[in-house]
Amino acid sequence: METLIAIICFVVTVALYFVVKRLYKRFHVWWLSPLFAVPVILVAGVLATHVSYSTYFSETRWLSWLLGPATVAFAVPIYEQRALIRKHWFPLLAGVAVGMPVAMLSSVWLARLLGLSDMLQKSLAPRSISTPFALAAAPSFGAEANLTAVFVVITGVCGMLIGELMISLLPLRSRLAKGALFGAAAHGAGTAKANEIGAEEGVVASLTMMFGGLATVLAAPMVGHLL
Amino acid sequence: MTTASSPAIKQWLVMPSQVALLCVVWLAASHVSQKLIPAVPAGVIGMVLTLGALAMGWLPLDWCRRGARWLLAEMLLFFIPAVVAVVNYSDLMLDAGWKIMIVIVLSTALVMTVTSLAVDACYKLEIAVRRRFRHLHSEA
Repeated sequence: METLIAIICFVVTVALYFVVKRLYKRFHVWWLSPLFAVPVILVAGVLATHVSYSTYFSETRWLSWLLGPATVAFAVPIYEQRALIRKHWFPLLAGVAVGMPVAMLSSVWLARLLGLSDMLQKSLAPRSISTPFALAAAPSFGAEANLTAVFVVITGVCGMLIGELMISLLPLRSRLAKGALFGAAAHGAGTAKANEIGAEEGVVASLTMMFGGLATVLAAPMVGHLL
Repeated sequence: MTTASSPAIKQWLVMPSQVALLCVVWLAASHVSQKLIPAVPAGVIGMVLTLGALAMGWLPLDWCRRGARWLLAEMLLFFIPAVVAVVNYSDLMLDAGWKIMIVIVLSTALVMTVTSLAVDACYKLEIAVRRRFRHLHSEA
């Protein structure tokens, strides 16, 4: 029975994703974005049917597992865009060097300012980088991995929603800046959004996300001591 | 019949087999990460290995391009199960959820502002340097 429910959870998650994705493509309203609508429906469903998260996750974890191979897959666009990296290495590097410390420090300081617990401050620190990187960095920060994973995704949804507004408010000239804005602040979800705006924005977002994630993971053991 | 349908089947199998190849790379990389270099996450190792193999010409781009495209295009699906974990934190979310949202929204807006302005400034600098460089070259 438990296994059957778990398999149903898997099928429903995948089916819902593809249906919502198709609807989003057609109607293009923010609340139909797959990363927002699908989890909302699933959380409501899980709460209403009293299915425990461990049952829900027992088969859907295969979907989470694919984040690993997806990280490896980034080698392909990086390789394909090597000319762009060579040409614009300086602004790209600047985006990572500025974006990552601001993301970590502002999360921790704002959380401290609002009186959130030490554990929450630490779990919020790696929230702006892609899940596989954030989970790798979590132990160095003393973060609770499950909470970090949730914050990462909330950040992604938030970034998708406010990204275009920020672009319209800021005096930005280059496609590089628009892409870096999404990649540094909202990882994979932001990259998906940047891809909707333009191919170059998407590539820059994915590069910023990749190198930002990498830099954060490598710097985490040192930064963790300072926080 | 079989001869007519086999190219179609082959076409259909290209993407899944390329995804499987990337999964094998990931598994090998997580093995390396666990046994040899625990400080570096498996995804980073796998990515660097794949990038190196592509650059050296050991791995033809056609062997993994479509699989990689699919994995990256459907990445939002892979995030979803982790978000549903909020049901485990309903007390925390009811208690401190609004504060957490304030932190995330403000910090995200700040990161977007600072990053994009820095990149734009450096892009202008890059153009200026390049123009000057070209100018010097043409004079010489």
